[in-house]
Amino acid sequence: MNTRVDHGNSVTQSLAQIGACGLFLLRILAAIPLSLRHVRETVRQLWFVGAMSLTIIMVCGLFVGMVLGLQLYHVLAIFGGTSASGSVVALAIYRELGPVVTALLFAGRAGTSMTAEIGLMRATDQIAAMEMMAVDPIAYVATPRFLAGLIAMPLLCCVFCAMGIFGGHLVGVNWLGVDNGTFWSNMTSSVDVWQDVINGVIWKSTAFGAVVSLIAVFQGYTTPPTSEGVAYATTRTVVASSIAILSLDFVLTAFLM
Amino acid sequence: MSQRKSYAVGTGMFIVLGFAALAYLATQTSSIANNHQGSSYKVDAQFANIGQLKERAPVKVAGVRVGQVQSITLEPGKDVADVTLSIDNKYAQIPTDSVAIIYTSGLLGDQYVGIQFGGAKTYVADGGHFGLTKSTQPLEEMLGKFLGGGGAADAIGGTYTVKANFTNVGTLAVGAPVKMAGVAIGSVASVKADPVKLDALVTLDIDKKYNQIPDDSAVSIFTSGLIGSQYVAIQPGGSPNSLKDGDQLVLTQSAMQLEDLIGKFLVNGSSNSGSNAGSNGSSNSPAGKH
Repeated sequence: MNTRVDHGNSVTQSLAQIGACGLFLLRILAAIPLSLRHVRETVRQLWFVGAMSLTIIMVCGLFVGMVLGLQLYHVLAIFGGTSASGSVVALAIYRELGPVVTALLFAGRAGTSMTAEIGLMRATDQIAAMEMMAVDPIAYVATPRFLAGLIAMPLLCCVFCAMGIFGGHLVGVNWLGVDNGTFWSNMTSSVDVWQDVINGVIWKSTAFGAVVSLIAVFQGYTTPPTSEGVAYATTRTVVASSIAILSLDFVLTAFLM
Repeated sequence: MSQRKSYAVGTGMFIVLGFAALAYLATQTSSIANNHQGSSYKVDAQFANIGQLKERAPVKVAGVRVGQVQSITLEPGKDVADVTLSIDNKYAQIPTDSVAIIYTSGLLGDQYVGIQFGGAKTYVADGGHFGLTKSTQPLEEMLGKFLGGGGAADAIGGTYTVKANFTNVGTLAVGAPVKMAGVAIGSVASVKADPVKLDALVTLDIDKKYNQIPDDSAVSIFTSGLIGSQYVAIQPGGSPNSLKDGDQLVLTQSAMQLEDLIGKFLVNGSSNSGSNAGSNGSSNSPAGKH
């Protein structure tokens, strides 16, 4: 049952980690039908990782949009193209910043707490107790959190993007004086709903949500059952998620563009 | 129970908010906001070159959006592009002899299909065809005239200095190239305001290799590219005497108001300005003179 790997050099160890993570994903997916019996647990996790993350996502989205509007205004002013700031803000947020920043925040806000929670369950033998009671811990602990992350990320990303557009509009139009009509008409004419909103925002953030919650759940589930182990696992969640998000972002962009 | 209820409500609100945000992004900030609802009819047009025209690009009459490009395919066995236009039913009265033209909105904008009405009394129907088409305007060629690049002069063998007064130097910077016939022959040594004549005194360092420049040459300030930096161009005159160190160039032309020129192109979507842009642009272009 223990998927932790303790032997071999660093290369085989990290390969084994990746392999174990892949196998863990299969176990999570296989446990989906069983976990539907605990659908309330999934809802509770969705509340915890999604609804409770809204504040940080909204505040960060607002400020990312505002700083984009501010920066782009001054660069575009060199070329006399400040009217394009609406479309550039929207495209930058939809294609890159929205999914990536949301995923990084999500890894920091929700991923770490998932890892720490499951890690402490492991350390205090709660998972072993579940197995004793013939409750599949994957179906009751891992899968609801994975599903919650998968569902919450695109929704959070949409909220982030909407707040980003609002922030860009606030700075560009209300503060720096870009024309309101030009701002919106340039944005609507350059943003394509399939290319940017569906491909950029939805698919990317769903993929990031899956990766972040998989890594978080996996790290928590396979943590050494000590307080030090939980601390390491939490750190590894953030590090591995960030690397996975940014590298996956490149791959996804290359495929989806 | 109340604990469970509160997070269920919170989750529900979160999901609703998420989907509301998605609906907002998809409908208010994307091209769907421009789409006309309702039924449409399809008309074909063949173009020799569609340039950068994309599917879902707008179709405009007199600058007003009437539909969009449905599909772009290659006509089997020919090197012409078959473009299907999807036009709103409420704009059903388009004469059959109208001309479909591919325009560029702005200088760097996207391309769209403009329809110029003909005079026929019959109107195109679903599955109809525009016989008269005009392909992409070769705006790039026009722009190419402005985009006179070129490197810096090597200044091997030293330079000599000439002065010129301009009423307006625009954004000319120290170190900007001095060009003759588009080739860099020197650089701007200094730009100062003349305290007596109340204009700009520009000092030019010209490579000593080019010591045959007539002393009645005209000197102008041009912009390389549309948004590029400015440079000084020397247009040789006919005098038998050459420029010497410390000479003053008398015939000067200040920075062109390129904004005015561009303003003529940048009438987004107006079909008249689009079709006339070519002739206006090339005759007014500073590049035509040298």
